[in-house]
Amino acid sequence: MPDALFYVLVVVLVVLGLASFALAMERHWRQLRPGSPIARPTTLVLRAIGATALAASLALCLWLDHGTIASLVWVMALVPAALAVTFTFSWRPQWFAPLLWWTGTRP
Amino acid sequence: MFATFRLSMTWLHTWFGLVLGYVLVVVFFFGSLSVFDREIDRWALPETRFEAQPMPSFDEVLAPVFRELEPHPDDMAATARRVIGPLPDPGTLELASLYAYTTHRDPVLLVGGEFGIPNKPKDASDEHQHVHGWATIDPRTGTPLPVDRLKIGSDFFYPMHYSLHLHAWNDVGYWIVGFAALVMLAALVSGVVVHRKLFRELFTFRPRKQPQRRLLDLHNLTGVVALPFHFFFALTGLIIFAAIYLPVSDKLLKPLHDAHERLESTQTGLPLEPAGQPAAMASVDAMVAEAQRRWAERGMAGEVGLLFADHLGDTNGYVSIYRAGTDRVSLTGEGIHFRASTGEVIRVEPPAGVVAGINDFLTGLHLQHFRHWLLRWLYFLGGMAGCVCIATGFLFFVEKRKQQHAREGRSGARWVDALAVAAVTGTLIATAAILVANRLLPEDLPARGTWEERVFWLAWLGALLHAAWRSAPVLQARRSAAWAEQCLAVSVLAVVAVLLNWITTGDHLWHTLTTGYWPVAGVDLTLLAAAAIAAMTARRLWSTTPTWEPAHA
Amino acid sequence: MSTPSPTAPQIVSRVLASVLGGYGFVWGFAAFGTALLVAGGMEYHEAWTLVMLLAFLLFLGLFCWAFAASSLARVWTVLAGGGGAMTLGAWLLTRHLVS
Repeated sequence: MPDALFYVLVVVLVVLGLASFALAMERHWRQLRPGSPIARPTTLVLRAIGATALAASLALCLWLDHGTIASLVWVMALVPAALAVTFTFSWRPQWFAPLLWWTGTRP
Repeated sequence: MFATFRLSMTWLHTWFGLVLGYVLVVVFFFGSLSVFDREIDRWALPETRFEAQPMPSFDEVLAPVFRELEPHPDDMAATARRVIGPLPDPGTLELASLYAYTTHRDPVLLVGGEFGIPNKPKDASDEHQHVHGWATIDPRTGTPLPVDRLKIGSDFFYPMHYSLHLHAWNDVGYWIVGFAALVMLAALVSGVVVHRKLFRELFTFRPRKQPQRRLLDLHNLTGVVALPFHFFFALTGLIIFAAIYLPVSDKLLKPLHDAHERLESTQTGLPLEPAGQPAAMASVDAMVAEAQRRWAERGMAGEVGLLFADHLGDTNGYVSIYRAGTDRVSLTGEGIHFRASTGEVIRVEPPAGVVAGINDFLTGLHLQHFRHWLLRWLYFLGGMAGCVCIATGFLFFVEKRKQQHAREGRSGARWVDALAVAAVTGTLIATAAILVANRLLPEDLPARGTWEERVFWLAWLGALLHAAWRSAPVLQARRSAAWAEQCLAVSVLAVVAVLLNWITTGDHLWHTLTTGYWPVAGVDLTLLAAAAIAAMTARRLWSTTPTWEPAHA
Repeated sequence: MSTPSPTAPQIVSRVLASVLGGYGFVWGFAAFGTALLVAGGMEYHEAWTLVMLLAFLLFLGLFCWAFAASSLARVWTVLAGGGGAMTLGAWLLTRHLVS
């Protein structure tokens, strides 16, 4: 079922999008970069990445389904994605380290 | 009464959330199960474990079924109480109207109708001079299901979530659920007001902190990430039953409503009353074919979801055919009405206006007739998140107060905790118990369905009594033993249910997974997942010694 | 104005106001709103549906307001008075429209 793979991609994109938004917050940034406070440009870039990922996932939903159903799928997909992002930050925050590969400086 | 807006909202959230929370967790839980009500029916009624069927031919299959249909004994009894004099023999009553209903998930078909009775009502304003009959039939053959089989999903769990099966005092259960829904909305709004760091703590869950902190984190998390879901389900639930909660059309505005009905009947060509002239019904299959042709013409090809016929055997008779809503959220129906005696089209429902369109969409959001399995599972997850939100609310309430209550010798926290056990793990126990009973009770037991329901209520009562008995430690600010013990019970019962399905039907998991019979596989898998979670929770509860014991315990 | 912990009679009164008073107001709104829209030319079912879509959101607002408002007297006046007035208005309007 190829469609199933696309739905997996939707969830992956939503997770990446929400994780980026989370990393733009001081408290989650600190989990991966305990030494350095977050710089304003970094916050903006992370949010832009997050917004792009979320927009892409919504577009993918609209491609997969009829309009109202697609929007509903996307809104509901935020639920498991947000939970997954939260629990990852609770127990394995380092799993999101690759999302910061472009920031360079290590603690 | 309160110094600030925030304090008033805190009070509202805490106390209304607590009291109505017990109702809400039940509503949310059975509402979530209702997403898969028909799949649960398949599990409970092995004779219906075949593929979903479209609406069968009316002329060939359904017409004989309706000729055999009789008033249901339950409705005969209920109607007898409403009318003057004895009711005629059910076998002599004639069908005045009929319906047939199916969805894309139904192997079996729901049929029913109204039979006219000559009796006058005891209450002059009572307009229902009918007795109802209904049956579930196999659409491939027209054979009815035995009357005392309980569709545990669609006829027990589903009505539980909107009526609590409380029909006393004029269906008070509907009103309790309705009030709980309003309180849910208020709890969401007040929760947002009270939650100062909604955005900063959006992804925050601190499992290594004190119980109060991690419970509140989880409560906030499950409430916020599914906030639109929780809000819309409560709101749409109220809107769907608006005619029950605000029956202005039946009361204050009745003259206006009835005048409109008469006017509308002349405009639509759908008569309100029979003419009194007999006329045979033309081929309904031809009407169905015409309806499907017209839908396809509009780019909305589809199956028949609901077939309705009124004023049977009369020249005023008409047949209404509605489309099953599988491909979109809105429940538009696309109704087409035919003259029963000739088969000509009387009326095609026009596209919904703005107001009706919004209502159709909101109703469709809640009733979810769409064919989309991922979305159904996401709905289920949202519902479970709601249950976790309410459950963690209870736990937080108790955690916050049990030290103080222990010091002051008060038992409030203890009883809140005991009721929470009954509402959370108790509900799970009762649910698993009815499924176990479904497999264990003898196949030919008379009123088998009623016995299954009795097991459910008894199991729940047992869980409540057990919870009350084992909650004494809360009086010393320790954890009630009931939580772990009931988690273990849930785990055992769920596994037993899966095993019994294997033993009594032969449809074990390996078989259903390899043949792709997802309804039964899905229920078995969910039961096993629930068993695993319950077992892990019980183990965790038994192995963790509370680190927040008061020093002077 | 800082207030001490709410007393039982105060709580009961607020709860009654929010639940019964709120319901009474929304009932009046539903009846009067529907009748008014019908008088304005809207088809009955459309008017009723529109009012129902709004009624529960209104109830939500009133429910919260009944607790947030500083003056309980004002809450009761608005809810009972408004509800009563609208119910009367609906009744009068219905009689006028149907005659």
